[in-house]
Amino acid sequence: MVESFKKVLKKDNFIITAEIGPVKGTNTQEMVNSINLLKDKVDALNVTDNQSAVMRYPSLGGCLLINEREGEPIFQITCRDRNRLSIQGDLLFAYSRGIENVLCLTGDSLKMGDHPEAKPVYDIDSVQLIQLVRNLNSGKDHSGNDLDGGVDFCIGASATPSADPIEPQLIKFEKKLKAGIDFVQTQAVYDLDELKRFVDYSRSINKSVKILAGIVLLVSAGMAKWMNDNIPGIFVPQNLIDELAKMPKGEGLSQGIEIAGNLIKRIKDEKICDGVHIMAIGKEEKVPDILKAAGILKV
Amino acid sequence: MIGQIKKPIEEILDYLDGKKKVVIYGCGGCATVFHTGGEAEVNEMKDILIKNGKDVLAAIAPPFGEFTCYAPWSKKRMEGYKKQISDCDAVLMLSCGDGLQVVREYILENEFGLTKAIYPATNPIGHMGGGPSLFREKCIQCGECELGKLAGICPMTQCAKGLLNGPCGGTRKDGKCEVNPDNDCAWVLIYKRLKELGELDKMREILPTKDWSKMQRPRELEVEPLSLE
Repeated sequence: MVESFKKVLKKDNFIITAEIGPVKGTNTQEMVNSINLLKDKVDALNVTDNQSAVMRYPSLGGCLLINEREGEPIFQITCRDRNRLSIQGDLLFAYSRGIENVLCLTGDSLKMGDHPEAKPVYDIDSVQLIQLVRNLNSGKDHSGNDLDGGVDFCIGASATPSADPIEPQLIKFEKKLKAGIDFVQTQAVYDLDELKRFVDYSRSINKSVKILAGIVLLVSAGMAKWMNDNIPGIFVPQNLIDELAKMPKGEGLSQGIEIAGNLIKRIKDEKICDGVHIMAIGKEEKVPDILKAAGILKV
Repeated sequence: MIGQIKKPIEEILDYLDGKKKVVIYGCGGCATVFHTGGEAEVNEMKDILIKNGKDVLAAIAPPFGEFTCYAPWSKKRMEGYKKQISDCDAVLMLSCGDGLQVVREYILENEFGLTKAIYPATNPIGHMGGGPSLFREKCIQCGECELGKLAGICPMTQCAKGLLNGPCGGTRKDGKCEVNPDNDCAWVLIYKRLKELGELDKMREILPTKDWSKMQRPRELEVEPLSLE
């Protein structure tokens, strides 16, 4: 049984989380394989919530699969698909089943996904979601009514250190800090100077919030360029794209693992922030290799 | 104003299938501005219906400024066509859904005591401002205007996700929206204006969850009637 994430956050160890992306359907075998492979190698596993607005097996279901295998789940919850009642209900259910960590997100636009004609909810936003979870933690629902049996969630938020323009993003992040979070998992970062600036900013407001830098595994130069062109807030520097482009066809992934490992190693060795959040996006089985490349997992 | 576009003529002819005698009623308000129900469109519709074998008993085009959704005006206008309306098989409304339903309920049913088939010729697509050519949705009529805190820019309307406390992670490098790259990120606009106004602290305040009960439909208002004399 791994230690609770709440306890992990209180220590000074380098924190590692990774991401599990649910299947479209009920065949959870690959998810279970990833969970079994990773649950003892990382401090917690996030489960994405209809990631990229594509309908999938639910985040909550993935979190239960992790709990049943004695791993530590982080329940990702977006504001896109549920109103405040539904969000609170899911949170109560999650907590009653031993899920104690929640990552509060806005949610990608439905336009990006496979149900673009659905009605978006956004009854509340990510800052208000943090407040809502705080309210639940204090024994009250969002309307101020008492709960019969409460919750004590460890609350996380996201941030985009490489956003351009950055200041509106930082002001929003400041609100998340004010609303009361325990940890932040950032969007993918490749420029560690940008990461340092973000960490300095965050710590100037609140020293105790743990910062986990987002690491997205690159698999090819094409993927890196695609992200630069299509995903706001992600910037892969040209030197990394060149490194990937130099690789023989089909070997980009091994270079991507090296790049991710080196980034993690530098973040850890230079104590840039408190840990990393690895998003392998469909290549979860490569997370141990990334940790080996970072010198964290013994070969 | 209520932005609107014309419905495909095939859809309109489908509605009118089996209805021979038709009254067309336009609108001197929004439908005139958006070229869906002004005089020109009413006459054009008349020609189309005649070509398709209909008897157009009346083609009513109120003058610019006479809103069909304002019952006192539409009542006055339609009184002159009571016979044609009474004789027709269907009324075709070149107006928004407000206009259609005001005419159906307040005029046809309440004033004339008629249960008539009534069909729309437009698709309304939002409460819009601007012009003379480009119109944009600016306000969702949330019932609790927040513009005073937001530099006069409504993120519930301008932001694709309607976020109240700052941008999502999807702001593009050029300050455009990830969801609709032609649009500016509402929160970049709000940030820039608040900064210029020296009111950036307003952006640091957490706005509480919205009271959406103020948008509980259908909403209604009772006011002192205007004198039309």
